[in-house]
Amino acid sequence: MVGNDIIDLNETRISTNWERPGFMKKVFTPTEQAIIHASADPFMAVWQLWSMKESAYKVFMQAGGKRFYNPKKFACQLVDSTNGEVRIGDLILKTTTLFHADYLFTSAVANHSKAQSHIFQLKENNQSFQSNFMHQQVIKDFTKRNTLQSDQLTIQKDTNGVPFLQDKNGRVNTSLSITHHGNYGAYSLIVN
Amino acid sequence: MTDKQQMIEELKTIIKPYIQNEEAFNNLHEDTDFINDLKINSANLVDVILDIEDKYDIEMDNESMDKMLNVKAALEVINEKVAKK
Repeated sequence: MVGNDIIDLNETRISTNWERPGFMKKVFTPTEQAIIHASADPFMAVWQLWSMKESAYKVFMQAGGKRFYNPKKFACQLVDSTNGEVRIGDLILKTTTLFHADYLFTSAVANHSKAQSHIFQLKENNQSFQSNFMHQQVIKDFTKRNTLQSDQLTIQKDTNGVPFLQDKNGRVNTSLSITHHGNYGAYSLIVN
Repeated sequence: MTDKQQMIEELKTIIKPYIQNEEAFNNLHEDTDFINDLKINSANLVDVILDIEDKYDIEMDNESMDKMLNVKAALEVINEKVAKK
């Protein structure tokens, strides 16, 4: 299982005011609020923790979880500046965050799974364009890596909204997560 | 206008700044999903919740937050909290 989340920092600066009264308390546990307050860059800390929660939510849905909205229920801890842990119910997930001047990207995995992620700069800031573009990239790369024919592969979504790869024999046995935001997109695949 | 219609109109005013799918917004009905249909980004759903709290002077607890996925659930939560005031 793998979940990911990319945050375009310029986009999020415009679209979300995390300093709005009430925002922190709705989203973050007391432990997380302490991490943010202690941080030299609270803005980055907020969005790092947010992307940890979001990527963990995607693993939770892959695990068959029931859809709900409550960011605070995903309890985050930082191991170091880039690695963290998120707990939700019985799941304990490992997260890794990558920092770039324009975006940050987190992937979350269960157990000792290893995920491989690819990040893309997207030309158009349009939902369906970005979603299509990312799907084409996943199919192209997966086809090349496994020497398949691309016309055999499609991306489907299960009833939980979780994307998966499908070829002529049915569901491909790998986990997939796709994210896009602002001018950036990424996908992650389990490689082991 | 019935109470429910009026509440839907009030809710539409609240969510309008955050929607990313105009068509779904114009056809909004009780089963409209905030994230899947209106494409409200998940961080902005916090704004929606805070705006609802401000507008109706209510506070959403954990349990109410969990449900905040579509129009119907939002109306139920608002009604329940306003009734308890």
